[in-house]
Amino acid sequence: MAMRLHVKSVMYVSKWIEFHNVTFHYPDEDTPVLSDMSLTLSEGEKWLIKGPSGCGKSTLFFLLNGLYPEACDGEVDGTRLLFGKPYDEYRPGEISQSIATVFQDPDSQFCMPTVEEELAFTLENRSIPREEMDLQITRILEETGLTQFRTRVIQTLSGGEKQRVATACALLMNPKIVLLDEPLAHLDPLTAREYVAWFSDLQVKNGWTVLVIDHQDAIWESFFDYTLVLEETSMPPLKAKSAYAKEVKSQQDFRAEVRVPGILHEAKLEVTGGSITVLAGPNGAGKSTLLKALAGLIPKADREQSDETIGYVPQSPEFLFITPSVRQEVSFGGGLRTEEFLTKLLLEGVANSNPFAVSQGQKRRTAIAAMLNDGRPVLLLDEPTAGQDAFALHELEDALFQVAAEGTAVVVVTHDMNFAERIADSMLLLKDGVLSGPFHPANVFSDPSLLRTYRLVQPTGGARDVDVASSLESVH
Amino acid sequence: MSTWLHRLNPSIKMLVTFVFIFALAFYFDPWTPLFVFIAVLVVQLLFSRINWKRWALLMLPFSLGAVGYFWTTYVFGTSDDRLETALSLSFRVFAFSSLSLLFVLTTSPMQFIMSVMQQLKLSPKLAYSLLVGYQFLPVLKDEFIQIRQVQQLRKPQVQKSTLAKLRALPSVAIPLLAGAVRKAEKTAFAMEARGFTGTRDRTYFHEVRLERFDLYFSVVLIVIFTSCLVVGATL
Amino acid sequence: MLANWKLKEVVLMSLLAVVFGIIYLVFLHIGNIWSSLIGPIAYEWIFGVWFLVSIVAMAIIRKPGAAVVPEVMAAAIEVMLGNAVGPRLILAGLVQGLGAEAAFAATRYRRFDLPVLIMAGVGASLFSFAYGYLLGGFSALSPWYVALMLGIRILSGAVIAGYGGSLIVNGLYATGSLRGYAIARQKRDVRV
Repeated sequence: MAMRLHVKSVMYVSKWIEFHNVTFHYPDEDTPVLSDMSLTLSEGEKWLIKGPSGCGKSTLFFLLNGLYPEACDGEVDGTRLLFGKPYDEYRPGEISQSIATVFQDPDSQFCMPTVEEELAFTLENRSIPREEMDLQITRILEETGLTQFRTRVIQTLSGGEKQRVATACALLMNPKIVLLDEPLAHLDPLTAREYVAWFSDLQVKNGWTVLVIDHQDAIWESFFDYTLVLEETSMPPLKAKSAYAKEVKSQQDFRAEVRVPGILHEAKLEVTGGSITVLAGPNGAGKSTLLKALAGLIPKADREQSDETIGYVPQSPEFLFITPSVRQEVSFGGGLRTEEFLTKLLLEGVANSNPFAVSQGQKRRTAIAAMLNDGRPVLLLDEPTAGQDAFALHELEDALFQVAAEGTAVVVVTHDMNFAERIADSMLLLKDGVLSGPFHPANVFSDPSLLRTYRLVQPTGGARDVDVASSLESVH
Repeated sequence: MSTWLHRLNPSIKMLVTFVFIFALAFYFDPWTPLFVFIAVLVVQLLFSRINWKRWALLMLPFSLGAVGYFWTTYVFGTSDDRLETALSLSFRVFAFSSLSLLFVLTTSPMQFIMSVMQQLKLSPKLAYSLLVGYQFLPVLKDEFIQIRQVQQLRKPQVQKSTLAKLRALPSVAIPLLAGAVRKAEKTAFAMEARGFTGTRDRTYFHEVRLERFDLYFSVVLIVIFTSCLVVGATL
Repeated sequence: MLANWKLKEVVLMSLLAVVFGIIYLVFLHIGNIWSSLIGPIAYEWIFGVWFLVSIVAMAIIRKPGAAVVPEVMAAAIEVMLGNAVGPRLILAGLVQGLGAEAAFAATRYRRFDLPVLIMAGVGASLFSFAYGYLLGGFSALSPWYVALMLGIRILSGAVIAGYGGSLIVNGLYATGSLRGYAIARQKRDVRV
């Protein structure tokens, strides 16, 4: 495993966490996910953790916050010290009082109905007397600016609000160290920026040591002091879009008019065959609803469209899977070009694997290949970029160009404006159930008022900022 | 007075309900279950605030079930007085369902779990896992519906019969379960990262206590229902 | 028992209870209200769906109690939802869960292959039938009718819960999502 540490040669008085030659094995695996890892974290340091999916970033977090090895029966070798004391000498639950963790998925980190009860859960775990709870809850809500959410039901909050609540729950323990595992993955760009600003403020006030895993590190701007790269990635070669041959013969335009009572106003759209349209807008605008309505998945939707055989890849592509292998998935609909599409979408290596057992990017490409093989002239993709590393984004980009080259009309929902800028031929913008566009991407990104209205941000770093190795040089 | 049933400690309420459901299993005359059913209605009228429209709606399927029970027992029964037994068993359905509703309609889910944890010493590990399951129910239900929809997008055929649905069950269940396994792990880790150890060594935000009121009121309920059993048995 | 259960296992039991509860309610139940007019025998043949959670949870987690606990949890969640059969379901869940548990206990929690899963389905059928016999007053019905009900229920438990459960567990195992649970470890040990 390649590992590069960019640590300034400064002597710190207090070493809060020390890892010496730590190696970690999952119980069911032969090769260690982390090997011989050493790391020293001191007071107030801010670290960005990078690396491709599966390189052990999350595992590192679980070793830091003390959940591993117990929680998964893994095997750990080497020395781990927290405030100079070995991890295994702490009582269960004790470490979590000094190290707080916020996880990626805003929907899988709560166990209580309301914000107040969720906050209280943290206090209960620390055996704080009942009389003190209200005071502490009030304090943290004020500190984090979440007072108006106190009695709200968590399920009804937006993704950004949920992440702030999750953060507040973690901060309630007065931690010294805060770990954030891709906290922005599901947020729209402006919400993500606001979260970063909000969190930075809190960090300055509290002086925590912070570690953040994130693929979209540009949003964090100058927040980090250090970058830790677990495992280098080499990118697959990218061809220019024009290099993908177009089969003009099957090109077919797609026109539709849909309306979903109560959610989506009359939306008219027209997508040219062989082109890629990006659909963007704030969280909760109705983007997913629009795609589902087009795909015919919303019974109460009124729709009129030029074609009914729509290809649709939901945010969780595995919902589509019915067979035990990638190859069978692609051939399921009776299409005759299975092998061709397996090759084009870089799936030959996993053709015989179970579609659930491959990487998220491969799952999505399997779904795309299946839709293509069915000969569906329209392909709708819901948030294919969320939580994807640079490598997977590259492969996705390539896949989408392949799809467009088939003459398919493609609509992609995404929050990743860098990605949008690279792939979009045109853009549709959606807010509060009202669709506008099409716009030329360049016009969207150069219009500050449009960006503000639709909670978007300008793409950063030009056309291809995904190369991990080169962006590294800019960090210290 | 109209809040007493709502105020009664959920664990006590549950135990009272259990005892009388069990006791009723030993009565085969039509009167006892009928008396209990009437008593439940009276108790609810006196001691609770109930949306009776909702109550009726919830009772409806059971009423139909009771009809099914009636003719089944009447046609396939063996006792000397088949009509009497048939009536008894269908009244039993009414008594059971109304007793259950008495509990369900006057108990909040949170209070229920908190009380079972604090009074009946249910392990916090189980109690909080139940709350997690409860939170995830709407999420998983949405996913379930979505999976069925997108799978039909790929394989458009109408599956009307129960048998056909049962055959298609694994292909729908597996994506849903795979997601549930991931969610379970993520949530469990998130809970542990916030210091949850599953031991009893904790305080409670919702403190549910046993009070003198619970004792008195449960005795009142027990007397009311027991007298139904006694009167029914002597008739 | 609880001390050596990991939290993720207990939360999984709870989510499995929810998933199978949804499957039962959304998939098979709703819209079939008129079937209840047919009487207690109407649902006999799909009774096995109720036992699926016990069998699936035990096949994955493989620890004592992993069959009975999720079954009771399923019932408790019904209560929280305000289902009128709720409180009774807690007792029913306990009884039928014990029936499934008995089959696994009989192998000292060492075997989780198809025959044992089918036996667990049958065990759940028998226990739940005994419970229904008492509370549903089946003793008032003619013996052949009761025998017919019992026969259908055993068949349902064996086929839907036992065989169906094994299909679901194997399908789920193949997806690779059960890494980190006893099923993955034991299957691996067998292979090596």
